[in-house]
Formats: sequence, C-alpha cells, structure tokens
Amino acid sequence: MNKQRPSLSSKIARLREQFIEQMPGRVEEALHYLTILRLDPNQRATAANLHRFLHSIKGTGNSFGFEELGAIAASGEHLAARLLEMPLNVSVPFWDELAEVLARIVLNTETLRQQGASSSQEHDVPRFDLAPIDDSEGTGGRLIYICDDDPLQVEQLATQLQCFGYHPVTFTDPAKLRTAMAAKRPSLVIMDIFFPNGVSGADVLAAIEREMDHPVPAIYISACDDFEARLNAIQAGGQAYFHKPVNALDMVTTIDELTVQKKPDPCRILVVDDEPVIAAYHSLILQEAHMITFQVHKPERVLEVLQLFRPDLVLMDMYMPGCNGRDLAKLVRQVPDYFGLPIVFLSSETDKHKQFSAMRVGAEGFLTKPIKPDDLVAAVAIRAERMRALRMLMARDSLTGLFNHSTTTQMLENAIANAGRQQASLCFAMIDVDRFKAVNDTHGHPVGDQVLLALARVLQQRLRNSDIVGRYGGEEFAVILQGIKLELAAQIIDQLREDFAKIRFQAGEVEFSCAFSGGVAAFPQCKDIKSLREAADRALYQAKDGGRNRVVANNE
Amino acid sequence: MHVLVVDDDPFSREMTVAVLEDLGYNCQLAENGVEAMEILAGESSCDLVISDMNMPLISGIDLFRELRSQGVTLPFILLTGDDPEELWTQEPKLDACLFKDFSLEEILPQVINEVLSRC
Repeated sequence: MNKQRPSLSSKIARLREQFIEQMPGRVEEALHYLTILRLDPNQRATAANLHRFLHSIKGTGNSFGFEELGAIAASGEHLAARLLEMPLNVSVPFWDELAEVLARIVLNTETLRQQGASSSQEHDVPRFDLAPIDDSEGTGGRLIYICDDDPLQVEQLATQLQCFGYHPVTFTDPAKLRTAMAAKRPSLVIMDIFFPNGVSGADVLAAIEREMDHPVPAIYISACDDFEARLNAIQAGGQAYFHKPVNALDMVTTIDELTVQKKPDPCRILVVDDEPVIAAYHSLILQEAHMITFQVHKPERVLEVLQLFRPDLVLMDMYMPGCNGRDLAKLVRQVPDYFGLPIVFLSSETDKHKQFSAMRVGAEGFLTKPIKPDDLVAAVAIRAERMRALRMLMARDSLTGLFNHSTTTQMLENAIANAGRQQASLCFAMIDVDRFKAVNDTHGHPVGDQVLLALARVLQQRLRNSDIVGRYGGEEFAVILQGIKLELAAQIIDQLREDFAKIRFQAGEVEFSCAFSGGVAAFPQCKDIKSLREAADRALYQAKDGGRNRVVANNE
Repeated sequence: MHVLVVDDDPFSREMTVAVLEDLGYNCQLAENGVEAMEILAGESSCDLVISDMNMPLISGIDLFRELRSQGVTLPFILLTGDDPEELWTQEPKLDACLFKDFSLEEILPQVINEVLSRC
C-alpha cells in the first residue's frame, strides 16, 4: 500500500463531511423540482430528477452508514415513484409529504453534522436527564414540605404559603419527613436547622438526599442568624436561608424562583411564500425547533392573517408574483400595530445592493438560500424573542409584572368579542386594596409596594391560566374570568379576599394585614365593555360603601 | 489494474473510488452510461466496470446489456440502493450485484476478488 496516500477511513470521513455540507444546497434544488411539479405534475423529467435525487440520497446515505437519513430518503423515493406512475392530469395528494421529507433530510444531516463536530472533540460525555419535579397532580408542582419542631411556627408558615396558592404539608418530626419524601417528592422542602437533642436539620436532609436520585430544592430557616448556621445550611445544599420569623412574601418570592420552571410560550412565526412546498418546508424546520408557524401563500391574505395569528415574526419570500416582498413589507409597516413587527426576508438574492434596498423598507434581516436549518432557526428565534421581550415590557406593569391598564383593556375587549362569538359568559372583577393610602402613609411606600406585590401574587397564582389579571392603576386591579357565571366568579374573588386578608405583612417591628374590596359584573348581562366596566365599578363602590373587605356581584 | 466507475452521484462515485484506490487500483470515472461507453470505445485499457444502477439516460442494467451487445465482455459489477436480488433476476448475466450500504467498504474488495478470479 502507498503510505503517502490518506487512509481509506480518512477519505471516507472527508466524503461524509462534504456530503453533509452540501446537503442544504442539494435539497434547495430538490425543492425547486417540487415547486415546478406542483404547478405542473406532468413534468415527467422533473419528477424523474426528484426521484433520482431521493434515490441517490438513500443510496449514498446508506453507503456512508447514515441509516436514518437513508430511511427518510427511501420514504420520499417511494412517494416520488408513485408520482412517476400516476396517470397524467390526476391531482397529487402528497406535496406536503414530499416537502416534509426534504425538510427531514436537511434536519437529519444537520444533526449528523453536529454529531460529527462533537465526536471529533470529545467522546462519551456522561449525560443524564433530570426527572421532572412533582407536577403530576393538578397542583402545578406546588407541593411543599415544611419541617420544624415548633408546631405553632410551622402551622403559621403553612397558612401563609397556602394564601399564595401553595400546598404545604407540615412535619414536626424529621423521621416523618423522611417517609413522606420517599413516598412523594415535593417541589421544595423548608427545613428548620436546629431540632431538639442536637439533631441538625441540615444533616437530616443531607441523609434523605443521599437516598434520592435527584436533590429537591431546600430552604433553611432558623431562629439563629449566625454565620455557623448559615454555613451549615449552604454546606447541606440549601438554596436559601431565612431567619425566623419568616417574611412570607420574601419566602414566596424565593420559592417561586426555585420551583417555577415555566416554559415560555413558543414563538409564533408567519411564513409567507407563494410556493406552498417552500412554505411547508420552512415551517417544518421551524416547528422542529418548537415554534408555531402559520403559512400564507397569497400575499393579499397577509393582513387578515396577521390579525388572527398575531405572530412574533414574519418570514417572507422576497420574490412573489404580483407583489414582491419589499412592497408587502412596506404595506404591513403602514399598519400602526405592525410597525415594530420583525420581518425577515428569505431569498436567493446575493446582490448586496438589492438586500440593502430591502432592509430600507424595514426588514429585520435578510437570509439567503440555501440556508442551513440551524441558521434559519437562530436568525428567526433571536428576533422573535426580542420582539416578545419588547412586547412584554410594553404590556406589563413594572412593579407587579401584571398586564398594565391598556393591555388589560384590550384583552377585555378581545375576551368579550370571543365570548360573544362563542355565546359564552365572562366576568369582570374590579379589586381595590382597602385603606391603602393609610398603609403608605404609616409604613412608607416600599411597604405599600409589598402589599401590592402580595396581592398580585395571590391573584396570579390562585386563578386559572385562562383568567387575565391586570393592574388597573394605583391599588386597583382587574380580573377577567372567562367562561364562568357571575355567582361563581364572585365566590372565587371572595375566596381570594379571605386568603389575602390572612397574609401578615411586616414593617419593621410592626405586623399588619390588609384587605380588599371587589366588584364583579358579567357578560352578556352587560352587553359591552363600557357597561361591563361601569357595572363592576358600581359593585366595587357598593362593597366599599358597605364597609369594605367584601365582594359584591352586580345583579342589575 | 484499471477500473471504470460509473455513477451520477458524486459522493457515491467518490466513495467507490476511495475503496478501489485503497486496494491500489487505478480508477477512471464516468458520470453516466454514455460517457462510460465513450471511454470504453476509446484508447484506454480497462479491466473491470463498476456501475451504479439508477442513473439518468441509461440505467446500469441498460449499460451492461449495451456493452454485451457490442461484444464488450469486461467483468461488470452493479451497485444499487434497491434490492440487489431483484436486479439479479432481471439480469442474471451480471457478474455481481451489490447493495449500497456501509459494509460496501468491506464487501466490495471481496466481490472484486471473486469476480476477477472467475475470469
């Protein structure tokens, strides 16, 4: 053998790399075949090209040991073969399936590329997935174990946490905690540091942790505020340390941070392309990255769909018959609501001048085909998420994170329109903290803010996801309860009122509690937003007038 | 030893070539059947033909039949992404018919030896 030549395996490795590298370009060509065929399925030569392309990906993929890729291509080859066998002028029902095959080919080679890149760096990095924290039951992962030898303290803390919608279970005996942990994992454990007879809470928890596969977040509490106790807690893996008596609101904030792993809503992308197969292809790649997509093939439908789908970003083909992407972007931008909507162009245009002229009408980006799936996903995700963050800032109140006045109003309008269409009912509640001015005057604004924050948390955590909670202004809050009748809505708000009244606030050495009054009105009894708001307002006024700390339903 | 490799897919072609060159063979390449016949009709000396089945214009089997009808008796190995048995029943005179998969790199040298030893 000739030793100067590269070895067979290194040659094959290089071929594999090139094969993967060139795939997006080759698939782009196949997409072109597909668009031609969709317009005219009788183009047998093009169908044969498509078939051969898929066949050769299957064969070469298999030769390189890419079995999954070979299988994907084989399924496409099968479809293409059917296409070739079909009599002329028969409509073909599987264009989208073919587009999907092409998308899967490109996605699979992308995975192979990444595997290739990572395997050349490091091998066998141990990997493990964390089991999901308890959220199996409808409590949404709010089960919390509290262990403290002082029964009074432990009950008090449990009551406070309950007000914020958690499900605390209390233990005074560490051994019982151990049994409970083995039976059911909570989202979090709150542990006292010092137990009688020199038993250390940190040691107990550390022993339990050793028995469990995955640690549960722990918060330590103690009457001591010395360095040793804190160090002890940290060494045992505690995520936070609280000095007794515990400020419930601070505790809840910390618990939220430790337990809530709220998945962000997926990004919504509108894909505008006059070629349905190309639109389907790009949609699939984005969906694979957990985005929600909607396809528009006719430029004239864009405005209508924008309103219904409310995307975070528009991915638009640059050249479409009758209406090019630039004009369409300009048109979209003229609608005030979409002034800030990111628009990304996708085109095979490599001319920088033309790209620049597209950017001038307000395109956020310009992607050139063929694009690698990762690049497409990254380019779209980063812009869509920025849009999201901006919207969030604009729509929410900075103190409480609840929807601000204008967003709440808009959502109420939408909710009424929805309820009207579906002939469903809807309730609107106005909530106002009682004697809030006195809290601010007596304890100062930072303490007042604590009260507002606590109420915001109670409302947000105790209501259903479908309910909309907003801060209407000052100490006034608004809640939209969808799909329920007046009586039930008033009961729910009244329950929240009772819970809120139980929360104990601290201002220096002083402890105090707060209450709120609420007024509830219902649609369709009130026919429009104006009468609904006025009715809720009148009910709130009645509640205040009737002595506060109560909820009144408007039955007019 | 000279081998003519016929394949329209550049990766598949290069893969075969890599295996052959590793065995110390000299390779000549053709992208389709027409090109292959031109090469064989020319000056070059060739000892073996390895061809892909699915190609534009002329399939691997058609190429084989055309060569035989022209009196070219060179050993001919067909490569395919489909079921090789079926192709072999279609054309039993083929010297060998191989399925393209990752084992090609091991199997192709063995098959070449077998085919050449039969000549």
